Parts: sequence; C-alpha cells; structure tokens
Amino acid sequence: MEFIKADNVRFAYEPAEGELPREVLHGVSLEIKKGEFVALLGHNGCGKSTMAKLFNGMLLPTEGKVTVDGMDTADEETIYEVRRRVGLVQQNPDNQLVASIVEEDVAFGPENLGIEPKEIRRRVDEALKAVDMYEYRENAPYKLSGGQKQRVAIAGIIAMEPDCIVLDEPTAMLDPRGRDEVMETIHKLNREKGITIILITHYMDEAVQAGRVIVMDEGNILTQGTPREVFSQVELLKQHHLDVPQATELAYRLRSYGCGIPDGILNEEECVGALFALIGKE
Amino acid sequence: MLSDITLGQYFPGRSILHRLDPRVKMVLVLVAIVLIFTSFNFASMGLVVALVIAGMLLSGVPIKMYLKSMKAILFIVAFTSILNLFYGTGEPIFQWGFMQITMNGVYRCIFIAIRITALILCSSILTFTTSPTQLTDAMERLMKPLKLFRVPVHDIAMIMTIALRFVPTLLEETDKIMSAQKARGADMESGGLMQRIKALIPILIPLFVSAFRRAYDLAMAMECRCYNSRVTPTKMKQLHMASRDAVAIVVVLMVIAGVVVGDIFLPVLA
Repeated sequence: MEFIKADNVRFAYEPAEGELPREVLHGVSLEIKKGEFVALLGHNGCGKSTMAKLFNGMLLPTEGKVTVDGMDTADEETIYEVRRRVGLVQQNPDNQLVASIVEEDVAFGPENLGIEPKEIRRRVDEALKAVDMYEYRENAPYKLSGGQKQRVAIAGIIAMEPDCIVLDEPTAMLDPRGRDEVMETIHKLNREKGITIILITHYMDEAVQAGRVIVMDEGNILTQGTPREVFSQVELLKQHHLDVPQATELAYRLRSYGCGIPDGILNEEECVGALFALIGKE
Repeated sequence: MLSDITLGQYFPGRSILHRLDPRVKMVLVLVAIVLIFTSFNFASMGLVVALVIAGMLLSGVPIKMYLKSMKAILFIVAFTSILNLFYGTGEPIFQWGFMQITMNGVYRCIFIAIRITALILCSSILTFTTSPTQLTDAMERLMKPLKLFRVPVHDIAMIMTIALRFVPTLLEETDKIMSAQKARGADMESGGLMQRIKALIPILIPLFVSAFRRAYDLAMAMECRCYNSRVTPTKMKQLHMASRDAVAIVVVLMVIAGVVVGDIFLPVLA
C-alpha cells in the first residue's frame, strides 16, 4: 500500500518581479510504500529538494496532488498531522537545531505537539538512544561535530514518532566519518523501527544502498527501479550527465573495450569478484 | 579568538543555589536588589550584605570569579562614591574653597560604594548559578500573567532561546569571515578609528547575509517540527518548587523584616 503518493505534480516558485514563473517540476508522479528505503537522485536544480518539501506540505504543488496516508498536503486541517508523520531533515545541521541543549532541542517537536511531559522525556531518551547520542544529551550543540549535530537533528524528528523521514542531502556538509555515522543511523532506523526513508542525495554510493532509486532530471523522473536496474542503464545516465558508482563505471568501460565483465556491478566487492573470475577464466 | 567568549557567566555546579527553582531565585534576587536600595543605616545594610555574602559562599563558585566580575565596575564605584562625598548636607567637617565634606557626605559615600558592589555581586550570584536556558524558562513563566494584556510571552521566550542558541554559531562564523577577509588582504588592526570602523563593513555584510539564510532554514526546520505560535506547547522540563525554595523564601522574608525594622527604628544615615 502506498504511503506517500504524488500525482502529476507540477511546481513553480513564485517569480521575482518582472520575471516569468519557471516551472521546476513538470508533472511528477510517484508512490512510496511504508517501510521502503528510497533514494532520490539527480543534479543540482533537478527539483529533488523541491520534491522533499512537497512531501510534508512545506510547499504545495501548483498543479496535481500530494497525499500522505490519504491526507492531502494542501488540507490545512491535517497539515500538522502530515508534518508529524513525515519529518524533514535538512542539509545544514547548524541551522535546524533550536535549543542550546541537545535534549531540549529533541524535545522541541513533541512539545509543539502538546504531549505530556513524562511522555516527552521517554520519547527524547528513546530518540537519542536510537541515534546513539544519549551520552551527549546535556551538551551544547555547538560543541558537537557535524555528524553528531545531524544525528541530533534526526533524533528531533524521531521524537515526533513519524512514519517517514525525508532527508535532503543530510551528508553534503559532513566529513567522511560524519557521513558514515549518519548513513548508518538512517539504515538502522529503517531496519529496526521500520521507518520509511526518502534519502535525497547526489552521492552514488549512498544511493546504491537504497532499496529503490528514483532518478530525476530537469523536473521529471528519468528512471527508477532497484539500484541494479537503474545503474545498469549507464548510457542513459551518461546522456543526462549523471554519474554512476565508480565500480559500475569501471565495469562499463572495461566492457566497452570488449572485456567480458558482466552487467549490473554496483560496488567494489562485486567488481573485484567479477575481475577475479575473469582473470581465472583466461 | 572570538569563540573564547563564554556564553553568559554560568558556572556549572550542584550547590543548593544551583538547585533552587530559577523562578524563585530570580524573584529573590530582585527583592534583594530592592532591599539594597532601601536600607538607610548600617544595621539594615549589614543585614542585606550578610545575605549577599551568604549567597556567594553557598553558591560554591570561587570568590575569585566574583572579584573578577567586580573589576569592570571598580571605576564606577570609585567615581560615584567620591562624587557623593561632596554632596552631603549639614555641618562641614572639612572645607577647602567651595568644596566641603560633611559627616552625611561620608555616610553617603560609604553607602553608595556598598550599594553598587552588592548590586553587582547579587546579580552575579544569579547568573553564575543559573544557566541561560533556565533563565529564559523562568522569565517565560514569570511573565505569564502578562498574557492577559496580549503580550506574546511564548514568542518572546522563543526569541530569547534562539538568540542564545545562535550566539556561538555566529561568533564562529564571524571568526571565519574575518580570517577569509584577512586572507584576501583586509587590514583590521591598523589605522585610525574611522578606518577601523570601515574595515568592519566587509565582515558585517557577509555575516548579515548568512544570518538571514540561517533564519530562513531555521524557520523551515521549526515548521517541519510542527511549531505553531498560536498554540502554547507543553514543556518537557517542569519546574517544581522544593522545600529548599521555601527555606530560601523564608530567609529572605526574615531579612526584609529586619531591614524594615532597622529603617523604622534606627536613624536614617544616608
């Protein structure tokens, strides 16, 4: 059953004075099921961040409809329920923490929902444990590393007990270690709590780890499917100046030189395996 | 460099003053300040000073920290008390040209010095033992009655919380921008006053631009977390008064009584 559904969504930002409105989404339709891990991939300016804000009603489509569990995001009566169910984590961790103490920041969401103090305490502790930041609960956010701050931001969303978390390039401003921490956290939440994840990224190796990849280009969906299905269409992606994972790229180039390496290689391990098999044959 | 500035003057600890309800602490400090300015003889003043010293000792904060907070205002204390020396009324005990010193002037001088010192120490006790978050929290709750007059108490508290939260972030950013401009050859350490003020422009403009961008992001993040200024949210940390708060209130009430009695029955000195 689909949880989030976008039906022929068009979107244009309010134009500056004297300019014509420029449409960034030209009729996108997609469905996301409960418990899925979806990666949304594309260039800068392809409309993927706009898409993220449409999922929880931060932006409303100019045409078409977005529904979350049957609730229209344009319906003002259910907008807070939609935002509780679909949390959004942004790129810059510094700009999304509200309070000057970690646990108080995590409590911000549930406090806004008017939940009982005792229940808030329970949720905050649970959320901080889920992202492995419980020991830091009394710290000031500005003393944490980027990856830690981003995990606190994720905890702030989890404390609202959402069904789905949309992450808009959550690792773009982090160092490699912070990226690993955040990716690990996201996967754990998906696996253990069954939270639906929509990961917006331009890192191919992050997209490969998803259950389904949706590739966007110039406001349209270019292709979608499992990572293997998507990244075997190397030519299509290249035509649209999109990258493929390094291992896939290597296999593709070897094959174009007449090497008998198989299709659909996604990571280093598979690539190494295929190369060994090849050498062994000859 | 800039990030060395500590936020507020909070001195973390577990003393009885740290654990007092911040609302009670805030009100009691205000009362103490009023008392400082309404004690008119040595007996009353002595009582208030004893209260302040007791507070300093109970706070568990090193006395050195209090002395440090005094350093900045030493000049003001000296200046105002010496000025007051010459404004006394009554029989002069010393005369030189048009300047005269009376006994009343001497008392005034001593009292004003004690008053300003006690005032600073008193507010230091509050800021040393109460974290900025507790302070805003206490303020929000103390201002609650103002809601009747349509004062947006919750919004004001939210503004204070966010301001406190972004002080270190923006300081860090200023540091970065300064380094970046220096790397481009900006000179901020030489030249006259006007030149130095002008040198700040290339720092302030990028800082403002980025602050607005941050504000936009933050507003978005807050809305994503269901922030709605029309609804009063619940609080995770409830403030509870304990028996130690009652003890503190009783102690201060006793000092109030002492000061009132002293003021009524003993001669007014200054």
